[in-house]
Amino acid sequence: MSYSKEKVESILNNGISRRSFLKGLAASGVLSSLPGGILQANEDLNTKIPYLGQKNYQTFRNACPRNCYDTCSIKTYVKDGVMQFIEGATESTYTRGGCCVKGNSYVKRVYSARRLKFPMMQVGGKGSGNWKRVSWDYAMETIAKKLLEMKKEDGTLLGAALTKYSGNFGITHYGVEGMFNSIGYTTRLAGTPCWPAGIDAQNLDMGDMWCNDPEEMKDSKFIILWGVNPASNSVHSMKYIYEAKSKGAKVVVIDPVFTEAASKASQYIQIKTGTDGLLALGMAKIIIDANLHDQKWLDANSKGYKEYKAYLDKEIKLDNVSKITGIPLAMIKELALSFVKAKPATIWMGYGMQRHTNGGSMIRAIDALVAVSGNIGKYAGGARYGHLSTWGFNYAALSQTKPEGSVGYTGPEGAKGEFAQVGGEKAAYTDRFLNINKTARELLNAKEPKVRLLWVACKNVFSQDFDRNQLIRAFQQLDLVVVADQFFNETVKWADIVLPVATQFEEYDVNVSYWHYWLSLNEQAIKPLFEVKSDVEIAALLSKHMNKLEAGSCTFPQSVDTKAMTIKEFNPGIYEQFGIKSWEELKNGSVKAKAVIPYADGKFKTPSGKFEFYSDKALELFGSALPTYLEVRKPYDKFRMTSPHSRWSLHSQFQNLEWMEDMHPEPYVYINPDDAEAKMVKEGDTVAVFNKQGLLRVKAKVTDNVQAGTVLMYEQWYNNNIYNVNELVDDTSSDMGAFKTGAPGVALHDTFVNFRKL
Amino acid sequence: MQKAFLVDGSICLGCNTCAMACKNQYHQDDGILWRKVREIGAEDYLMDNNNILPTLTSYQKAPKVKMPMERFYFSLACNHCENPACVAICPVGAHTKDPETGICKHDQTICIGCGGCVKACPFGASKFNTKMGQAEKCSMCWERQADGKTTACVQSCPVHAITIIDLHDPKYKEYANASPIGIDYAINAETHPSTRFILPHMPKEVYRQAKG
Repeated sequence: MSYSKEKVESILNNGISRRSFLKGLAASGVLSSLPGGILQANEDLNTKIPYLGQKNYQTFRNACPRNCYDTCSIKTYVKDGVMQFIEGATESTYTRGGCCVKGNSYVKRVYSARRLKFPMMQVGGKGSGNWKRVSWDYAMETIAKKLLEMKKEDGTLLGAALTKYSGNFGITHYGVEGMFNSIGYTTRLAGTPCWPAGIDAQNLDMGDMWCNDPEEMKDSKFIILWGVNPASNSVHSMKYIYEAKSKGAKVVVIDPVFTEAASKASQYIQIKTGTDGLLALGMAKIIIDANLHDQKWLDANSKGYKEYKAYLDKEIKLDNVSKITGIPLAMIKELALSFVKAKPATIWMGYGMQRHTNGGSMIRAIDALVAVSGNIGKYAGGARYGHLSTWGFNYAALSQTKPEGSVGYTGPEGAKGEFAQVGGEKAAYTDRFLNINKTARELLNAKEPKVRLLWVACKNVFSQDFDRNQLIRAFQQLDLVVVADQFFNETVKWADIVLPVATQFEEYDVNVSYWHYWLSLNEQAIKPLFEVKSDVEIAALLSKHMNKLEAGSCTFPQSVDTKAMTIKEFNPGIYEQFGIKSWEELKNGSVKAKAVIPYADGKFKTPSGKFEFYSDKALELFGSALPTYLEVRKPYDKFRMTSPHSRWSLHSQFQNLEWMEDMHPEPYVYINPDDAEAKMVKEGDTVAVFNKQGLLRVKAKVTDNVQAGTVLMYEQWYNNNIYNVNELVDDTSSDMGAFKTGAPGVALHDTFVNFRKL
Repeated sequence: MQKAFLVDGSICLGCNTCAMACKNQYHQDDGILWRKVREIGAEDYLMDNNNILPTLTSYQKAPKVKMPMERFYFSLACNHCENPACVAICPVGAHTKDPETGICKHDQTICIGCGGCVKACPFGASKFNTKMGQAEKCSMCWERQADGKTTACVQSCPVHAITIIDLHDPKYKEYANASPIGIDYAINAETHPSTRFILPHMPKEVYRQAKG
């Protein structure tokens, strides 16, 4: 089946009415029992069309805005207004003509019968499944009325809360925050579940989170992939790792899991989960004891090296390091010495490692190891974690003024999240910030005023947040839950109003990565399908309805064009950084920022201006100035459960698509053979995995890719499958995160479970 | 000339990009894949859980090599055999072998949906589309190749684990008769399938935690 113009038109025009029973329902406004029914597009049969030759397509520039290292530059092929296929843009040496398995499913994402198509209201109450199709005007008027009513009754709009995160990192999507900025002072679920402990750690050490260009890894002589699995989650980075390897570099993977990347490395070292920081401290001690550390660089560029060395001398016993990490001492010594002798050498730290109660301290310990080895500020070196150095947009969609007379929060101010660091003017009031990583309890506990309205955008709360039972309670006590999304996901089930959102192919936008250094324009390639609208168009519509009911109640523009909105995000700084004169040059393909080696000038944005082994800020915030060993969370059940990212999805996106199901139809729990034998579980058995939080039924795969005492289940959201790994995860915080992103991270991988055969 | 896919298992990530790139280009119906990434598992790796390749077992000569689950892969579409069974069996000439490129093409405008090719292909390359009542399979993107582009799978692979070679080019002689692990069934098959493989291997040093 391919998507021809006729087919798409028939879906658009007749998708509902051609089925008489649905026609009746739609005409009379009677409820459909299942949203799936009203959403079902007609999947007509159509013979395949072959590739028709370059000249027969219109091409557009797009970019993948999902939360991924690779942020691919896309070239979209359109015929008669219908997307035919996409390719990775060849202009980007990073994307190099290919997308990943997820990106290649975009045509299905756009034309999937499962897409949300119209605004709908759940009139039988949250979770009832009684949905009614409504007009955009009706939906937005309902929301506007509610907001104004709340403002009148509470004297403030702090009862309106926004939770938005990484479903779409396109810059204009900060217009969602802009929409909330433009109605007054509101409540925000702040922080990030992704990488906060590591961001804090790197900021304490270096005053920034700023990594070398990943393309440089091709020239590294020694690469440690530490708790990161690019073979699944950053496939385009693998070519640089392979290139380095083919030129003689050693590639070592340190991970509790024998990952896909580990299977392609020179050496794999399995470490006991949560002991990585200690290994790094041990390696640093070995390097210093062998007098192979870079004393010259340390003297010139670091603060507190003496205290750090004293700590290593006094507290770090190598026999203990070996015992606790489970790695033979000889292997640790060989690793440390070969790492320090290879120049340049680099370490890439994954975001899983910091999802522990000692996560931030582990990243600090590894930063310190790289510093000791003299690889910070060097080409093809660096302590790699991520960067936001190419994110200097105007955030025009975000920066809105408050309506006159807005009343807000007078408590202590929190940070606003790591991506959009442009603040409004300093005022007597602020927004109220709740911890996004404890969404359920924060929504339940917020008082004066209590949260009454929740807007969810770019986020699947029920798949991504923790403690499902509490979440249901929290959602049910809200007067109005609005979810703007592309698919009927778990969060939509608990919404009152659902608004269908455009894909990136239906709007203009601009994208950069937190890993590589490319900038991509996202053009509107096709007209929006059905009644979908972009997030900023929704904001404009809300503004129109609020102002109609009460003039001046919302400052967001009342009509927007995503192209104009995108153009407003550019500034001379961006042009200078990327070496272009106008945004229009991006129509010819992505461009890369001018090469800069982070910290090559020895300038760090720390209070001392140096790399800080000893950080006063760390002492003040976390009680330890030095990167020290901190024990990981104590088990509260029989087996540790880790829930890393899968290659099939980006958090809860993509796995739900029909095409993805052809390759990966169901979830599994991966169990070590020893544990499986003890529990009499065989490959393919259905097991119950359970703990104090909840229970999941899932099929077993038996493999020593995971170590004994550990089970692994990927974080994913399936269509029509109740699997959700976060049902087992509590909201225990990691050690760091509150410094830069407003809230600590979550110790996701410090989850403990038991299991048995069903 | 005999165009052939060369699949490098030593660098293949098993990411399935190639298979999805094919869907992206041709919009195969839900449930149908022209290209499939298969796991090279332990001793039973010829066993295909999805039963896509039932006939493979008859060629089974798999060595008993223990390798970890979901870590080593090979990607397979149509083999564009030198002596294709689909061409031989098709009663209406919907399957043809291009004399210039060696690509086995299937013409859906002619196909009567008898299913002969689906039964005849030893590799399960021909799929039966029940909605259309017709067969379909990998075309080695001959239309794209004619337009100066490479195949969707080759273009999309993030690490260039799939390339297209000419089996008759002396440059690729070493691959022409290669007999990789468990895949030797293919080369010895009467159809003379053209896909060639470079073997995967474990990292030189693998350290795992002691039990318990």
